[in-house]
Amino acid sequence: MDLAMSEAETLEKTPGGPLGTGPAGKPRSLWSDAWFQLRRNPVFLVSGLLILFLVVISIWPSLIASGDPLECHLSKAQEGPEPGHPFGYDSQGCDVYTRTVYGARASITVGVCATLGAALLGSLLGGLAGFFGGWWDALLSRIADIFFGIPVILGGLVLLSVVTSTTVWPVVGFIVLLGWPQVSRIARGSVITAKQNDYVQAARALGAGNGRMLLRHVAPNAVAPVIVVATIALGTYIALEATLSFLGVGLRPPTVSWGIDIANAAQSIRNAPHMLLWPAGALSVTVLAFIMLGDAVRDALDPKLR
Amino acid sequence: MTPEPMLEVRGLVKHFPLTRGILFKKKIGAVKAVDGVDFDLGSGETLGIVGESGCGKSTVAKLLMNLERPTAGLIRYKGEDITRLSGRALKAVRRNIQMVFQDPYTSLNPRMTVGDIIGEPYEIHPEAAPKGDRRRRVQELLDVVGLNPEYINRYPHQFSGGQRQRIGIARGLALRPEIIVADEPVSALDVSVQAQVVNLLDRLQSELGLSYVFIAHDLSIVRHISDRVGVMYLGRIVETGTDTEIYEHPTHPYTQALLSAAPVPDPEARAHRDRIILSGDVPSPANPPSGCRFRTRCWKARERCAVEVPLLAVPEGFAPGGGPGAHASACHFAEERHVVPNGA
Amino acid sequence: MLLQVRDLHVEFRTHDGVAKAVNGVSYEVDAGETLAVLGESGSGKSVTAQAIMGILDVPPGRITGGEILFQGRDLLQLKEDDRRKVRGAEMAMIFQDALSSLNPVLSVGEQLGEMFVVHRGMSRKDARAKAVELMDRVRIPAAKERVGQYPHQFSGGMRQRIMIAMALALEPALIIADEPTTALDVTVQAQVMDLLAELQQEYHMGLILITHDLGVVADVADRIAVMYAGRIVETAPVHDLYKAPAHPYTRGLLDSIPRLDHKGHELYAIKGLPPNLMAIPPGCAFHPRCPRAQDVCLTDEPPLYAVAEDGARESACHFWRETLRDA
Repeated sequence: MDLAMSEAETLEKTPGGPLGTGPAGKPRSLWSDAWFQLRRNPVFLVSGLLILFLVVISIWPSLIASGDPLECHLSKAQEGPEPGHPFGYDSQGCDVYTRTVYGARASITVGVCATLGAALLGSLLGGLAGFFGGWWDALLSRIADIFFGIPVILGGLVLLSVVTSTTVWPVVGFIVLLGWPQVSRIARGSVITAKQNDYVQAARALGAGNGRMLLRHVAPNAVAPVIVVATIALGTYIALEATLSFLGVGLRPPTVSWGIDIANAAQSIRNAPHMLLWPAGALSVTVLAFIMLGDAVRDALDPKLR
Repeated sequence: MTPEPMLEVRGLVKHFPLTRGILFKKKIGAVKAVDGVDFDLGSGETLGIVGESGCGKSTVAKLLMNLERPTAGLIRYKGEDITRLSGRALKAVRRNIQMVFQDPYTSLNPRMTVGDIIGEPYEIHPEAAPKGDRRRRVQELLDVVGLNPEYINRYPHQFSGGQRQRIGIARGLALRPEIIVADEPVSALDVSVQAQVVNLLDRLQSELGLSYVFIAHDLSIVRHISDRVGVMYLGRIVETGTDTEIYEHPTHPYTQALLSAAPVPDPEARAHRDRIILSGDVPSPANPPSGCRFRTRCWKARERCAVEVPLLAVPEGFAPGGGPGAHASACHFAEERHVVPNGA
Repeated sequence: MLLQVRDLHVEFRTHDGVAKAVNGVSYEVDAGETLAVLGESGSGKSVTAQAIMGILDVPPGRITGGEILFQGRDLLQLKEDDRRKVRGAEMAMIFQDALSSLNPVLSVGEQLGEMFVVHRGMSRKDARAKAVELMDRVRIPAAKERVGQYPHQFSGGMRQRIMIAMALALEPALIIADEPTTALDVTVQAQVMDLLAELQQEYHMGLILITHDLGVVADVADRIAVMYAGRIVETAPVHDLYKAPAHPYTRGLLDSIPRLDHKGHELYAIKGLPPNLMAIPPGCAFHPRCPRAQDVCLTDEPPLYAVAEDGARESACHFWRETLRDA
């Protein structure tokens, strides 16, 4: 097919080129475009650094806390700060600083695992429902509605009170169970939107099978909203874990968790406010960081705002 | 007309059911998007299908591409009905019939590079090109449609509308199809770029021997590119013939109205032309008028039109082969009327 | 003179740089006159209209120079409050997409009547009667029965009529119609265009008709201004322009349209692409695509040369004489 080309040369000589070519004319995918946006967004930089810090200390808490969170001296109960123990002691005489640092691990683990679980389950089910439609979609949407209807706190009190395990997994499982419908709704909607694009029809007209259409054409164009809700949900899941632990049905001692510490501190808030201040502050900052990150990611991935 | 048509369409019908209820759907009616369409497409020929929005022309394109299954009717490609095919047989037919879409912004996957988009046909049909050869073929295709072969690693959003449409055309050509179905391929483009793309389609046809089904609402572009033209109204072809027959000797009132309303960039030609301004709007395809579907807007309508469906055939009073006025027209009262002035 | 735009400049600040959308546009419209502003996407035709109406998105847009004299007042010097009073009452706009310009949760009667309630302080009842009158005016059948219906219950052509009625409500001196028939079918297009032209005569309004379609404007416009890369490249009375364009761009546009009266061979195609507004070519912005370009076109920006002595025709081409002669 070596045809004489008359328009080709003239077309390429046009200076400037169309709008949308990067300044350097380098190929830029939408992902690298989004990354370019993110790097210049101070909200992303602040929240990103904070989250990086939290992840590092949840993996290696001993980097900044040399003590043992379970080593307590009842004699020091509720005492204020002293050298080496900048945050003071809690009701059991444990070091609040060490416990706050070690508490990050539980929060991050629950947050990340629950988010991954809910995002995978939700986008799988919602994505398939949106792509195939029909009775499968109708059935799945009704099931999601049922889970939406479960009151979170009441459900947690009922379901988790029968659990005796002291690991994080029952809490993670519970949050996934309640969290996936939200993700699945978003995934379903964005798959339906992506599915209607002509390029999906074009692939079908070429003879592409469902697998190729879904993985190559629909999923990459539908994943952005899922990432955005998942990032924002991560923050709320961490808050939910703390709430459940506070109520006594989430994580249980000897696991170290901000929620447990807040529950303990709340009983003596009048005589020892410092006990509440640090774990509650750490929790708020962490939740805020994830929600800010979600906002920044949404701004970068939503082309309408650009 | 060629003796052995590439494509024969007979009695093509597509009704989209209107349903109510979520889990238990109840049919409450149907949108009769396409309601009995027949045509042939010869080898190397261009058939233009022209009509207003909602006339069913895009649904015809989807049916030809097997993107929708017809409610009734046949589409024969080289004698074989392709509407009931599936699996491997369908995939094989798809190599030969490809499509160019209207909207250059939604027809290219924004997450894929131009090379991946044009190369995808080879991934789906690995037998069409050996693996090592694909990149070279993609670059060749870029060259054929008038784009710099070095653009292979760029993304669609870095191109203008006209360039994107060229990429879409290159993708359609990759498997060396015999038939291209083009659904409004230039209507989303700027005037100065439309001509480039129309010329490209023209050139590709003569060099590659393609057959086109060219669907559009723009009458002048359809005339320019088509050998034969079918005019659609509410799911049916109301008049069909060669470009001269349709444009210079129209006999169906709808065709005449359409031609007389076509915007013509010449104030003087317009001043002399016979203007027919239709009253009202196109009725809903969910509830089309009985008899002749155009009768609700037609100035010639009589009782007969409400009862008797006019057939698409050479009308009585026109001897077959008796001049350019004698072509298929679905009107009980067909008569020639010259509505396109010279200079238009 | 009803409206005079003088040397208008508009810029858009974006991530990738400054896009110069309008670069020194001047045009005027008199009462009872129709000016068609013709251009492709990115030519600045709609941005100019938005600047006149005062509905430009600021930021990212910014008017960097020029004046817009409307009935003798410079609109750009007015306070936003005074500007708002001009908008709707003295000048009105009709958009391409009637469905998204109408509020889906209000009946068309309420939306039409709103104009009278807000600007004229009429009672709801009187406003409704006015709405029916207007719908009659734009020839919507059974106006009395349909006044309580919602936008989605009307067809595209009828919705565009409602938009026209809304623009006419307060009998403005100037109407700007931005691609008013582009979204409509051919047979409906003609109806709407005729209606608009007729009403304009009746009310003796100035009409600015913005379009990309050379065919649509041919029989309603008095004068045409052709825009390219944010500048006016040619203005002319409508007959003269179609008969003998004095700018190679206009010429190219006319030649690239397929004809209805005969089949023709290869179409003339203007080579290349419309310019990037962030990097408009120096000299004449059209030179990279121009078959007539000489060295001077690469360096000297052509002024608007007077083609006719009375100033009714102008062309921004160094070689307008040759272009006109070869037409």
